[in-house]
Amino acid sequence: MDLQNQQRVKDAAEKYGAENVVVILGSSDAEGAEIYAETVANGDPTFAGPLAGAPLGLAVYHVFEQDIRDEIDPAVWEEQLGMMEMVLDGDALAQATKGIREEFSKWQI
Amino acid sequence: MGKLSGKKLLLLGERDGVAGPAMEECLKDSGAEIVFSVTECFV
Repeated sequence: MDLQNQQRVKDAAEKYGAENVVVILGSSDAEGAEIYAETVANGDPTFAGPLAGAPLGLAVYHVFEQDIRDEIDPAVWEEQLGMMEMVLDGDALAQATKGIREEFSKWQI
Repeated sequence: MGKLSGKKLLLLGERDGVAGPAMEECLKDSGAEIVFSVTECFV
C-alpha cells in the first residue's frame, strides 16, 4: 500500500478510534486484497511504511462482500459496480478479505 | 441497512478494480462518514 495512504489510515484510526473505522477495499485481485487487508489489520507486512509494526486491527471488507452489498441501494450498485462485478472474481476477493479479517481484525460491522 | 451507520469509512480503491469514486457513490447514503477515498494504481 502507498506509504502516504498508510499514514492516512493510521491518522484516521488515531483520530476516530480504531473501533469506529471501517476500511473498504476495491482491489482487483485476491492477493492484493489480502496484502491491503493485512496492512490495515495487522500492520505492513513489507515493513516499509507507517503501519509497519502497527497492528491496528481495523475492520476491513472488500466492496464485493455481502455485508457491504447489503448496505448499498441495488440500483446504485448496478450502476457503479455492475460492470466490474462481471469482470472481477468477486467471490475470491470476498473470501480473501474475509480470511484476513477473521485472522487479524479486532472489530467487525 | 444500517450496519455502517456512524462508522468512519476509509475507501481504498484500485484503478484496475473498483475505484474510490465508485465506492463513494455507493456508500454516501450508508449512514457512515467517508473520511477519505483513494484510487491506487500499480503501474
